[in-house]
Formats: sequence, C-alpha cells, structure tokens
Amino acid sequence: MTVPNDQLLDMYRDMWRMRTLENRLEENHKQGLVPGFFHSGVGQEAALVGCAHALETTDYFFPDHRSHGLILIAGTPGEKVMAELHGRATGICGGKGGSLHMADPSVGNLGNNAIQGSIAATALGPAFAAKLRQDGRVSAVFLGDGTMGRGEVYESVNLATIWKLPVIYVCLNNLYAISLRVQDAFVPDDLADLVSGFGIERRVADGNDIEVVYETMREAIGRGRRDEGPTFIEFKTYRWQGHFGGDPDADRPAEEKRYWMEERDPVKLAGQALLERGASTEQDLVRIQQEVADEVQGWIDYALASPEPDLSAATEHVYVGLEVPGR
Amino acid sequence: MSAQEQSRDLSFVRAINEALHSEMERDERVFIIGEDIGRRGGDFGATEGLWKRWPDRCRDTPLSEAAITGLGVGAAMAGMRPIVEIMFVDFLAECYDQVVNNMAKAHYMFGGQLKAPLVIRTLCGGGFHAGPHHSQSAEGWLMNIPGITVAGPSNPYDAKGLLIAAIRSENPILFMEHKGLYGMKGPVPATSYEVPLYKAQLKRRGRDVTVVAGLKMVNLALETAERLAEEEVDVEVIDLTTIKPWDEETVLESVRKTGRLVTLFENPKTGGPGSEISATVVEEALHTLKAPVKRVAGLDTPHAFAPVLEEYILPRQEDLVRAIWDVIDY
Repeated sequence: MTVPNDQLLDMYRDMWRMRTLENRLEENHKQGLVPGFFHSGVGQEAALVGCAHALETTDYFFPDHRSHGLILIAGTPGEKVMAELHGRATGICGGKGGSLHMADPSVGNLGNNAIQGSIAATALGPAFAAKLRQDGRVSAVFLGDGTMGRGEVYESVNLATIWKLPVIYVCLNNLYAISLRVQDAFVPDDLADLVSGFGIERRVADGNDIEVVYETMREAIGRGRRDEGPTFIEFKTYRWQGHFGGDPDADRPAEEKRYWMEERDPVKLAGQALLERGASTEQDLVRIQQEVADEVQGWIDYALASPEPDLSAATEHVYVGLEVPGR
Repeated sequence: MSAQEQSRDLSFVRAINEALHSEMERDERVFIIGEDIGRRGGDFGATEGLWKRWPDRCRDTPLSEAAITGLGVGAAMAGMRPIVEIMFVDFLAECYDQVVNNMAKAHYMFGGQLKAPLVIRTLCGGGFHAGPHHSQSAEGWLMNIPGITVAGPSNPYDAKGLLIAAIRSENPILFMEHKGLYGMKGPVPATSYEVPLYKAQLKRRGRDVTVVAGLKMVNLALETAERLAEEEVDVEVIDLTTIKPWDEETVLESVRKTGRLVTLFENPKTGGPGSEISATVVEEALHTLKAPVKRVAGLDTPHAFAPVLEEYILPRQEDLVRAIWDVIDY
C-alpha cells in the first residue's frame, strides 16, 4: 500500500507536529505549566495521524486518551490545543475541558472522554443522525485495548451492526492498559476477535505504518459512506512512555521498549520510505523538523501569553439559558 | 371551535402519546428509541402508532441502556432531538455514566460549543408491588448532578404540555412519568401547547401551610388539602414540576406567606428533593417560619415487594396529615 509522495510528506510533517506537541507538553507538564494529568501519545503517531488524514472535516469523531495529536491534525489550530492544555481562556474549550475533554465541532470532533468506553456508545448518535439524514458522514471512535473490557463497547458494536450505522471503531492496541498486559486481560491475540460474534466487519492492521493505517481507515470510511455498515479496526501499536506524565514505567521490559522505539518508530519508518522513494532528502526531513519545532514554539508562546479563564466562566454553560449562582 | 371545546378527557398515557405524535410530526429531527416502543407501541401504550408512521425515527432496541442513551447524547450533539425511553427509572443505573458524564456535561466541559438536547423518558414510582427494581424514584440520585434537568407532570394536561416543552428544550431532560398516573384522566387540549419547565405551579391556594410535592404526590397533597379544608385548615399546594433545578422563588414566596412548609416526595428521605427544599427555605426564610419544616418522604429503605410493606414504605395520607397538624400545632 502506498500513498502519493506529496501526501506521505504531509503525513510525515503531521507526525512530527504530533510528536513535538506531545514532547513539549510533557516538558511543560514537568515544569507545572500544564496542570493535571497528562497522557502522551508519542509512539502512536501513525495510527492517529493516518486516521486524521482519512477523515473529512464533515465527518464526526471521538478522540481517545492519547489524542492531542489527532485533535491537532484533524484541524483544531495548534494554538487552541496548546492553550486548552495549559488551562487558558483561549483554549478550544475555554480551559474547561483540558487534556481528556476536548471537542471542536467545527471539524467534527465531538469530544473525548476520560471514562473509557463511554464514547463508544456516544459515537452511535452522529452515525444514526447521518443515516437518517442520508448525508454520507461517518462517526469514528478511538478506543484503547483497555477499553475492550467495558460493556458499553459491546452494546455499541451490536447496535451499530444490526442498524448498519456508519461507525468506525478504531482500537489502538498498545499492549498495556496502564500496567495490565493485554495478554492478561483478554484471551484472543487479536482484540478484533472479541467482537467477531456480532457480525461486524473487522480489520487488524499495523498501526505504526501510516500508509497501512490510512488505507485501512479509508476503506472503512468508504463502507460507512456507502451505507454498508460499521467496521472494527484494531491497530497494533505501542506507547513510548508510561501511562501518564511522571509514571516511572517500571513494568514494561526494556527490550520490548527498545524494539518498538528503534525498529518500529512510526515517524522514522515514514521518513525512511520518503528517502527510499527519492521523494525527500535527509536535509528535507531535518528542515521539516526544524520548521515544526518553530511552529510548536509559537503555540507555546501563544498559550503562555494567554490569560487564565475569568472566574465567571465557572458558572457559564451549565445549562442553556439558565443562570447558576457563583460564590 | 374554541380551544375549550377541543379539550377532551384523556388518560395520562394518551396525553404522553399525543405529545410524541405532535413533536415527531412537527420536527423531523425528533426520533425515539427504546425497548418495545416500536412494533408493540410501548409496554403501556405510550408510543402507540409512532412506528407505523415513522419506522425510521421510532426504533426498537435490544436491552442496551448504555448504548441507547449514548446514542441519544451523540445524536443530540450532532443536531438531532432524540427521545430515549428507559423503561423503568431503576434501569438508569445501567446508563448512569452517559447521564452523569456525557449528557450533563456536554455543554459545560466543551466550553459551550456543544449542546445535548435530548429527553430521557422513564417510568418511575411505586404502588404497583413491583419490588425493589421496578418501583424506585430516582430524583435524589440526580439532584447532585449539575447540568441535569429533572421534570415530571402530575396530571394529563401537564403530561402533554411538559413533554412538548422538554422535547423543544435546549437542555438535556430526564422526564419522569409516574406509573401510578398512567390511568389518570383529565382534560387535555387537542392542540399543541407547552407547560413551562423550571416553573413551579400553584395548584391550590391556601393560607395556613405550604405543601411542596412532585409527580403523583401532588395529587395526594390536593386530596389531603380538600379533606383538611373540612377541618378549617387551608393548605397551599405547589407542584414543583421541574424538580432539578427547582423554582426557589415560587416556593419561598409561598412559605413567606404561610410560614409553614411540608415537603412531599416518594423518594427515600435522605438526600431527596424535600431535603434540598427544606435546606433552602431554612437558609432563605428562617425568620418567616412559624414551625420547623417537615419532610414527608419514602422511608430510607429499598422498595419492598409485599403490598403491606410497600404501603408502609411509601408516604401515606396519614403521614401527610400528621405532618401538617404538627406544623400547625407547633
């Protein structure tokens, strides 16, 4: 599977955007500039960026726990993502959502959610709406391997399948749910087998090869648009760091980490493909990395220069059209 | 023909059914999903005829409360006006995550970018000897969730108008239908109309004591008021109608006039609506009170099956009468 060279180059740049965003966020989290819990997506760039490239801004999607990069590449401006994560008034949700609760309906993002499995059910809604309106949109929901333990996923898969709803379940199997190894959580080697009894279309693919991700996702989106029903995709991937910022990550074997970080680095793999095809030179790739570093620095500058939310925001938007008293 | 003449005596459940027909006819964004609501028309007839007219917008679902509630929330965020039927409020526990974490917070946590205007219709309340899992009143569970609106009618007229208002509302609504009211008959206009949310109703004017009640208990309060009128006690009855967030102004105005408050709700006493109303009245109007506030409520027990136990657990007329005399004689 190959995508055109210029598109692969765009994907390469976007993966660098995601990686740089995450790494800079992690630095700022360590310094106390990014409040709260922080879950980095580094290592999963191909899966998230590849899917973002396959979706249209008129489609709906629900990002997962490690989706700062997905949210960015799907079209929310980097300034607004960065400001949200720094708890600033200029963030995409005015600083009220933070890392795990970011929506941007202008690009189809109806919000991620810190309760695993919850959005598997919510994702049915836009798909049902799209089917009633016959507008060809799809609804993609991003899940982790740990989420496959939640009953809502199975209720959702069943309903999507019997009603032939255009839902795409994107399961990013990164082998660990915090500390729990996937083989200690489920019997099948492929998590897609968990939903086989529902009769849903299933794919298992390499989540670290962005071309494979893109083509797999596109095929699933196509089925949804043609009213052929939902698809469950399992992308095999790996996160490079512990579950959250500050996690000592002592549970995972060193050799396993080395293998994924050195031999299966999704960004490096895409860079190699570009070089092998003669689509880019080493210098081109270095230049892209530098441009991205400057771009991300600009987002950080914007975030840090932005004000914190006015306290009146605390009682805003609890209800539509009703006041809630403040202090 | 005047509006008066168009009013017919209808049962509560027919009034609900009319509201659903009326809104599905008016707005093609409205759809309804739930268990046995389609072909069968609902276990108690509330959704009769919808599936025949709108098979795509009236869908029977498997027993998947979390998925169907999630579907409702997601579709609402995508611009639709979903109605989700949860057969019994007890089953809300199966989709509580969707209610608490998605439906209630969608507007807030994304900084006002999204709304989730769906209605969850659900049967609640006791009196049918249906045991611990088919009889509860869940308002107390829901009082502590910012962003939630909990509303429920006490008669057929309000049932139609309040449900229409709920479907048209921009907020997510939990719409409580007390199963003990389904057979109640009363005048219902054939036209489409709204009974306002967030506004308590003064159902009976009185001088001596304010009884604030919700759902079926409103009718117990009204009957009791008539009985006590023969003993020269003049009871004011307020139907809260929207239980969360509730209309403090109407309640406080009444208490400032009568100086006495009795609350009447089916929920277990601890943490129920009566507790919240009492606390607010004490905070805001203590010096107008001539007697301590009394809460008449369900006992703090699960809902027992045996009829004799259920009748003892639910608020009885004698409990309300005693509470009213207590605040009068204080």
